[in-house]
Amino acid sequence: MIGAVLRRLGQTVLVLFGISVLVFLVFFATPGADPTARIAGRNASPETVAAIRHQYGFDRPLPIQYLHLMDRLFITRDLASYVDHGEKVVPEVARAAPVTLSLVGGAAVIWVTVSILIGTIAAAARGSVLDRALMMAGLVGISIPVFWLGEVANLITQSRFHTSWMFSWVPPLGYVPLQDGLWAWASHLIIPWCTLAVLFIGLYGRVLRADLVAASGEDFMRTARAKGLSETRVMLFHGLRTSLITFVSLFGLDFAQLVGGGALLTEVVFGLGGVGRLTYQGLVNLDLPLIMATVMYSAVFVVVANAVVDLFYLLLDPRVRDGR
Amino acid sequence: MSVRPLLRRFLPAALPTILLGAVAAAPAPLPPPVPAAQTPAPKTRAPDSTDLPPYVSPDGETKGSPHRGGTLRLTADAGAGTADPQINYISEMIQLTANVYDGLTTFSKHPGDASNVPVADLAEALPPPEDGGLTYTFRLRPGIRFSNGHVLDVNDVVASFQRIFKVNSPTAGGFYGGIVGAAACLKDSAHCTLAGGVVGDEKAGTITFHLTHPDAEFFDKLAFPHAYILPADTPPHDLGNDAPPGTGPYRIASYDPNRQMIVDRNPFFHVWSAEAQPDGYVDRMVYSFGLSDEAETTATINGDFDYMYDNVPLDRYGELGDTVPDQVHINPVYATYYLPLNTHLPPFNNLKARWAINYAVNRRAMQTFMGGPAVADVLCQTVPKGLPGHEPFCPYTKGADFQHPAKQWTAPDLALARKLVEESGTKGMHVTLVVPNRAVEIAMGTDLQNTLRRIGYDADVKPIAFAIQFTYIQNTNNNVQISINDWFADYPEPSDFLTALFGCENFHPGSDSSPNISGFCDPTFQDLIHRAALTSVTDKAAGNKLWAEADRRLAEEAPTVPLIQFRKIELVSKRLGNFYTTNLYHLLFSQAWVK
Repeated sequence: MIGAVLRRLGQTVLVLFGISVLVFLVFFATPGADPTARIAGRNASPETVAAIRHQYGFDRPLPIQYLHLMDRLFITRDLASYVDHGEKVVPEVARAAPVTLSLVGGAAVIWVTVSILIGTIAAAARGSVLDRALMMAGLVGISIPVFWLGEVANLITQSRFHTSWMFSWVPPLGYVPLQDGLWAWASHLIIPWCTLAVLFIGLYGRVLRADLVAASGEDFMRTARAKGLSETRVMLFHGLRTSLITFVSLFGLDFAQLVGGGALLTEVVFGLGGVGRLTYQGLVNLDLPLIMATVMYSAVFVVVANAVVDLFYLLLDPRVRDGR
Repeated sequence: MSVRPLLRRFLPAALPTILLGAVAAAPAPLPPPVPAAQTPAPKTRAPDSTDLPPYVSPDGETKGSPHRGGTLRLTADAGAGTADPQINYISEMIQLTANVYDGLTTFSKHPGDASNVPVADLAEALPPPEDGGLTYTFRLRPGIRFSNGHVLDVNDVVASFQRIFKVNSPTAGGFYGGIVGAAACLKDSAHCTLAGGVVGDEKAGTITFHLTHPDAEFFDKLAFPHAYILPADTPPHDLGNDAPPGTGPYRIASYDPNRQMIVDRNPFFHVWSAEAQPDGYVDRMVYSFGLSDEAETTATINGDFDYMYDNVPLDRYGELGDTVPDQVHINPVYATYYLPLNTHLPPFNNLKARWAINYAVNRRAMQTFMGGPAVADVLCQTVPKGLPGHEPFCPYTKGADFQHPAKQWTAPDLALARKLVEESGTKGMHVTLVVPNRAVEIAMGTDLQNTLRRIGYDADVKPIAFAIQFTYIQNTNNNVQISINDWFADYPEPSDFLTALFGCENFHPGSDSSPNISGFCDPTFQDLIHRAALTSVTDKAAGNKLWAEADRRLAEEAPTVPLIQFRKIELVSKRLGNFYTTNLYHLLFSQAWVK
C-alpha cells in the first residue's frame, strides 16, 4: 500500500516537472515572448530595459531562470505576475479556486442527476420514441459550444428579457461568495451551472444508456431476473451500479480538469473570477508566472483525480476489489 | 449633444460592410460631417437639477452641492497593472490617478481642448525659463497634505524625481533624461541623487531644475503621471497593489487587480486650484474588474455600473444608438492607426514602393472597420487633428501630388500606385503584414492584403497575439516589413508622434523597445524636429510651423502610412450626471454626479 502511494507521488512529481519544463521552454521559444520590454513599458530607454532585464533575472541562463521561477512558485511562493506586479500568483490561484469549485460543483450535481435520469429512462424505454428523443436532445447538448450557449443565456437573461418576470431575478454577472448569503451565491451561479452542465448531461446520458443496454444481457442480470426480481429493481440495483463504472471514471477526469481550470470559457463568459479565468488572463497577456501557476494547479488536480477514480473502482466493482 | 442621429445613421449602416469584410478600393463618397466637440463651454454658476454638462464649480469646491455624495461604480475587463503611479503606463490607471495624485504641474481639468494646457498644480505658478530654457525654479504651495496626513515639502519633490529613476520608470530616459544628473541615474538607478539637476531649498520652499538642453515640453512632462509627487519615504521599488498616498481629492483604499479597487476621499484634501485639482462629488468609487466588453456594455445599460472603461464592441453600436443614445458620448482622443514601413528591408527600403502603398491604401475602408465616420477620421499625415503643428496636407490622394497636395484624403489612386511599384523594381516581392489578433485590425489587415496584391505584391497577413505584437514589430531581429500599429499621445504635442515614432534617437536595432519601428533616420527630418523643439521654447507659433514642416517632410519620405484618427465611444449609466471629458483623461471621475 505504502509502495503504491509512493509510486503515485513519484509519478506526480515527474508529471509536474515535465509539464513545467515544457511550459517554460514553449514560453521562451515563442518569438516576441521576452517579457522585458513589456514590463519596462512603452518607449522605455535602452538603459531602463537593461535595468529591468537584470532586475527580473532575464539576463541569466535559462536553467537558472527556471530554477528561480520554481523556487518562487513552490518554496517562497512570492512569484508575482509580470502584468499586475503586485499580484502574487499562488495566493491568487488559492483565492480563485473556491469560485471554480462553486461553479463546477453545482454544475456536476445537475449533470450527474439529470444524466442518470435521462440515461436510465432511455435505457428502460429502449427503442421507443422517448428513447430517441432523449438521445437526440443529448446529442444537441453535446454539440452546442459552451461559450455560445453562455452568450445566448446572457443575451436572454441579462439583456433582451432582463426586465421580464422570468428573468428579473437574475443578478448581474460575477461571483458572490457563499459567506454573503446562500441565495446571493446560488442566484449568481444558476445560469452558469446550467450552461456548463448541458454538454455533460448529453454526454453522460448517452454513455450511461449504452452501458445499461450492454449490461442488460449480462449473466448477473439474467440471474437477478431468474430470481424473480422486478425489472425496475434489476435495472436500478444491479444494472445501474455496474454501468456507473464508466460514468464514474469519466466523471473523475472531467470534474478534475474542470476544477483545474477547464471551465475557462464558462468563467470568462459569466465574469466568474475562477482559475479558468486566471488561465485566460495569463494566456491573453502571455504572463508566464500566471500561466505556470494555473497549469501546475491543473496538473495536480488531474493526477489526484486519477488516484481518486482508482479508489472508486474498488468500491463499485467487486471484481476489481477482489482482484478477480 | 445627443448622439442618436449619428449612431443610427452611420454605425448600423457600417456593420454589414464590416461583417462581410468586402470594402472595395473604389473611391467612396465623402463622409458626412463629423460631429463637433461634444462639450459646450463650461458654466460656472451654481448647479441645479436642469443643468446639462459640463458644470465646473468656479472655486473647485463641491461641499454644499446637492450632487455631492454617493458611489461611482466603474467596470473594466481587467485590472490596471501596478498601483505604483510612477511605473504604471496604462490609461485605465492614469484616468483614475488623475483624481488621486498631483505633480508640480498638471493638465487643466477643464473640459475639452482647455485640458490640453499644462497649469501649475503643487507649484504656485509656472515659472519663466531661465538661462535660455535650462533652468526652472518652482515655488511649492504651502499647507498641502498627503492622504496620510504628511505635509508636502520640497524633500518630497526631490525624492519623487529621484524615485522615477530608482524604480526604473518607463519614461525615466525619454521624458526626464534631460535633467542634469539623469544620465548617471540611468546607469546606476539605485544610487540616483540627480545632484545638480533637482535642487530643493527647504527654507525658500523652492525646487530648481537644471536641464542639459532647453525643453519646450518640460511642463507637459512634469504633468505626466510618472512625475507625480509622493512622500519622500515611499519605498524605492514597485509598490504593486499598495498605492502610495497622494495629494488629490481621493485615495486608493484597496486594490486587487483581479477583483476590484476601492477609492474613497482623501481626508486631508482642500482645494488650492480649481483648474488643477477640483474637489470630487462622489464619496466613493468602486472599480470592478473581470467582465468582458460585451458584458460590461450590457451591465452599464442595465444600470449595474455607471461607466465602462473598455471600448464598446462594434456589434453593439446600433443597439446603443437605438436604445440608450443619451447615455453614449463620442469624444476625441489623440490616437491614430498607422502602418510603419521598415525602411531597411525590401520592398519598403525603396522610396517609390513606400509612395506606392501610401497612394494605394483605402483609408475610407479603415475608417469603416473602426466604426464609421462618427468614430474615426481618415488621416493622411502623422500629426493628428487638434494638435499644434497640424496643418492639413495630403499628397497621397487621387489627383494630388507633392507639388499639388490636397487638404484631405478623398480616394486611393491604384493606377499611380501600380506604376510606382513597377518603377521601383519591387513588383512580385513577398510582403508579410503583421497585425494584432483583434477583430478590427484583422479586418484592416485583410483589406490591406488585397490592396498590396492589387498593386503587384505577393502579400499575406500574419496575426499575432495582441499582448506581444507591439514589442514584436519593434525588434529588427523579427524582420517585420510592414505592420499595423496604434499610438496614443502621452501629452498633446506633435513631438509625441514625430520624434517618438520617427526620431533617430528612438531607433534601437535588436531591441523590443524601439518605437521608431520604421528604423527611419533622415538628417533633414532630424534637423527640423530639433529646430522645432528648440524654437518652441521661446516662440510656440514659430515652433509649430517647424513641426508642420517636419510633418510634411515625413510624408515625402513616407516611412509610414497614416490611416485614421479615432475617437472614444463612452457609455455611462442613466443616473450619471455632469459627464465631461478632458482630452487626456477621458471622463474626469471627480466631476461626475451620481446624485
